[in-house]
Formats: sequence, structure tokens, C-alpha cells
Amino acid sequence: MASKSKHTTTIVILALVVLILGVTATFVIIEAQSSQSDLEILGTVPPFELTERSGLPFGTDEMKGKLNVIDFIFTSCEGPCPVMADNMSTLYQAFAGSDKVQLISISVDPSRDRLQVLQEYAQRNGVTDNRWVFLRGEIDTIKWLSEGVFKLSADDLPGAHSTKFILIDDRGQIRGYYSGTDKASINILKTHIRELAEDIT
Amino acid sequence: MRSFQKFTLLTVFFVYLVIFAGGLVRVTGAGLGCPDWPKCFGRWIPPTSIDQLPPDIDPAQFNITLAWIEYTNRLVGMIVGILIAAAAIWAILRFRKYKRIVRGTIAAAILVAFQGWYGSVVVSSELNQTIVTVHYFLAILIAGIMIFVYAQVYALQNREQSHPQIPPDIRWWSLGLFLLASVQLFLGTQIRSTVEQLAQNYPLLSGTERLVQVGIVNHIHLALGLTLAAAIWVFGLRIRKNLDIIPSLLKFGAAGAAILAAIQIILGLVFIVFGLVSLAQLFHLCIASIIMGLLIMILSSTFKMKEN
Repeated sequence: MASKSKHTTTIVILALVVLILGVTATFVIIEAQSSQSDLEILGTVPPFELTERSGLPFGTDEMKGKLNVIDFIFTSCEGPCPVMADNMSTLYQAFAGSDKVQLISISVDPSRDRLQVLQEYAQRNGVTDNRWVFLRGEIDTIKWLSEGVFKLSADDLPGAHSTKFILIDDRGQIRGYYSGTDKASINILKTHIRELAEDIT
Repeated sequence: MRSFQKFTLLTVFFVYLVIFAGGLVRVTGAGLGCPDWPKCFGRWIPPTSIDQLPPDIDPAQFNITLAWIEYTNRLVGMIVGILIAAAAIWAILRFRKYKRIVRGTIAAAILVAFQGWYGSVVVSSELNQTIVTVHYFLAILIAGIMIFVYAQVYALQNREQSHPQIPPDIRWWSLGLFLLASVQLFLGTQIRSTVEQLAQNYPLLSGTERLVQVGIVNHIHLALGLTLAAAIWVFGLRIRKNLDIIPSLLKFGAAGAAILAAIQIILGLVFIVFGLVSLAQLFHLCIASIIMGLLIMILSSTFKMKEN
């Protein structure tokens, strides 16, 4: 009998341990999920319009209803741009199955990056559809977008453009900034896109 | 020796606690919650606000919840390291004549030190799937060695059971189950790696879609799981025939493994029906490591304790 009650005690303790671990884990998992999906609204993008490499206008209207990742580049840049283009390319492939996600590279060097140059640049990066667009516009508009709207430095364009990727949701709201040259940051961006994509039908 | 026995059992419990904490890191995706190692964002206690981040780190990486999940794994790991080191010193000082106990604890101490350092490799590799899997296997190996030590101490304590006349087929059964379970564990980690890779490459796939994409390995894992569970149950019935000469650790191991194997099948069904539920994944991973530990315990108690 003594050993039987000892067994019962052991089983009760084990059950308690499992229960405590289960409850803790549930709490932690929910907490972790919400920490990755509760993205603050950091601002709203005011209406703007630039020109897409095809020559068609592209602006806030084309961004509505989609998740957008924006970066600033110029095609003759040899510094961080190739890494940024690689990371954009990773995103382009990762979201290949979905037209919910749109990638937008804006040239900070409109004098050299004519539409034809952007066309070639797009082809070099393996872009075959409209999920990744390349925009050009007046340098003042670009500067206003970078500095005024996205609060990124644009002191000495084109050289000193920002290397951030900016996540804009389907309502034109800024939801996050990510390092365009850092793989870990890009992975977080992917997670955030996945979380936001769940709300878009 | 009785207190040493209790101490090794406590250590085993803590090794499983760190496996649980590590599993939580895995299912919440908190592996890079601290981008550096051993510190977290350059601090010994993870930062509580974004202002405390060092300037060279991208603020997008900072998520206080994930940082603490990752850091908890490191802290519990450190406790385990201290416990195992203490067990090794204790064994060297007091039980030098029991070579298996001394060698076992020393091996565990070396492995746990390696495992701690390997944690830095996991982080710097940005969660390379193979490295993460090795990290998990090492944890199970450490648990296995400590269980082996515990079984040795237990056998010495309960001398009447230390020289059991165990039928040879039970030894073969134990070995066979252990090998089968190792294959099953390996397949499970392969599925997990593939699922993770799919999540990286195709972020919009749902959990269920990712599982379907894994393909044939899934089916093998399911079939082998059912086979293994059945084998563990048959083994349990085989033991019942010779109940009086079977060491109690072996009985406990067999009963535990039989119950846990059944739970694993149920969790597997949860994945099929509901997709990759995080909590179910966590328990599936932890229970797998406990079953491995129990099978190692069974294996250890089928061999005689040598005093030399």
C-alpha cells in the first residue's frame, strides 16, 4: 500500500509539472505571436505619383490593397545596393505565389536612371512580372518622400541614400523599417509580411 | 550515495527543462531573439527598451518577448552546466571506483560545455537547420548520459536488482527499440527542418500546406511512429511475462515509454488534422526526447553494473 500511495504522489506531481509547463508554454507562445503581429502604425503615406519603368504612372493608388516594401536605390551604385537588390530579390522569390506583396525600388538618381536604364536593371535582377516595380520621378519628389515622408536621411543624393526597407500596409500606413543589408532583419520583415497578409483577403 | 542519486535525477529534470525551453525558442521562432552571444544586445540582462540598444544593431531585430525567450534558454542551460559540473566533481571525489559513473558525468560535463559554446554557433549561423538539429541531438545525448549515470547509481543502491537475470531477448528488444527510435527522431528533425525552410522560402504557405509540401518523409515518419509505438507496447507485454526478475527502472521505463508513445501518435494526429499547432509541436519535440531518455534508461538497466 505504501508504494501505491507513493506512485500516486509521483503521478500527481508529474501531472502538475506538465500542467504548469503547458500553461506557461501557451502563455509564452501567445505572447510571442502577438509580439510579432502587433505592428505599430508609424505614419501614413500621403498621395504621390512617380513613373514606373514601363512608362505608366505609379503611386499611392497602385499601392492600395497590397503590402508594399519600398527601398531607395540607384542603378550605378556599387556600395550597399547590390546587397539590397539581392535581398529584394529574395523577397521577390519568397512571395512569388502571391500578388498581395509588391516590391518598390525608387531611384534616387533620376538623371541617369532613365526608364530604359531601369528596364535593364529590372531584367538584370530577374524580374519577370509586375510584383517588383522600379520608379523614377523628379529628384525633389524623391527627396521629399525619403526625408519628409519616411524620415530617412537624403542629404547627399544619390550617394548617401538610406539602405532601409520600408513596409507599407494595404491602407498606405507605414508599419516597419528593416535593414536592407541584413539577412536577420529581412527574415523579420518576412514574418511581419506574413502576419499582415493574413488580414488581407 | 542516495543524495547523489537524487542529485543526478534533479540534473536530468533540468536537462529536460532546458530542452523544453529550447523547444519554446524553436516554436516561437525566437532563435535570433538575441542577435549576439553570450550577451543579449550587448547586455548581460536583455534590454527592456529600444533606447538601450547598441547603435550598431538594427532596431527591427529587437523584440523584448523573443529576446527573453531566447535568454531563458541560455539561463536554464547555464544552470544545467553548473549542475552537471557539480555532479562530475562529486563523482570524482566520492565514487572514483565506479568508473562508469565517473566517466559518464565527465563526458556529460564536457558535452554540456561544448553545447553552451555550440549555442553561439547556432546564433552566428543564423539558425542553420543542420546546426539547430545537432544542438537538439546534443541535448538528448546529455540527458541520455545523465540517465545512464542515474541508472548505474540506482543499480548500486538497489543491490538486489543489480545482477538481474534478464532474458537475452529483452536486451535485443531494448537495443532494437533504441535504434528504431533514433531513426524516428532523425526523421522528425528532418521534417521540422524542411518545414522551417519552406517557411523561409514561401512565407505565405500555411502550416498545413507546408506539411503537405514535405511529402514522403511525413508518411515514413507516420508509419515508423505507429510501428515504434506498437513495438514499445509489445515490449511492455513481453516484460510483463517476467515481471519478478525485471529491474524496476526497466519496468518504469517501459511503462513510461508506452504511455508517451501513445501520446506522440495523438500529437501526430493533431498535426494532420489541425496543422502545425505550436504547443503540440513543443510537446511532440519534448516527449520525443523523453522517450529517447527512457529507452536509454531501459538499455542501461539491462546491463550489469560493474564494480571496478
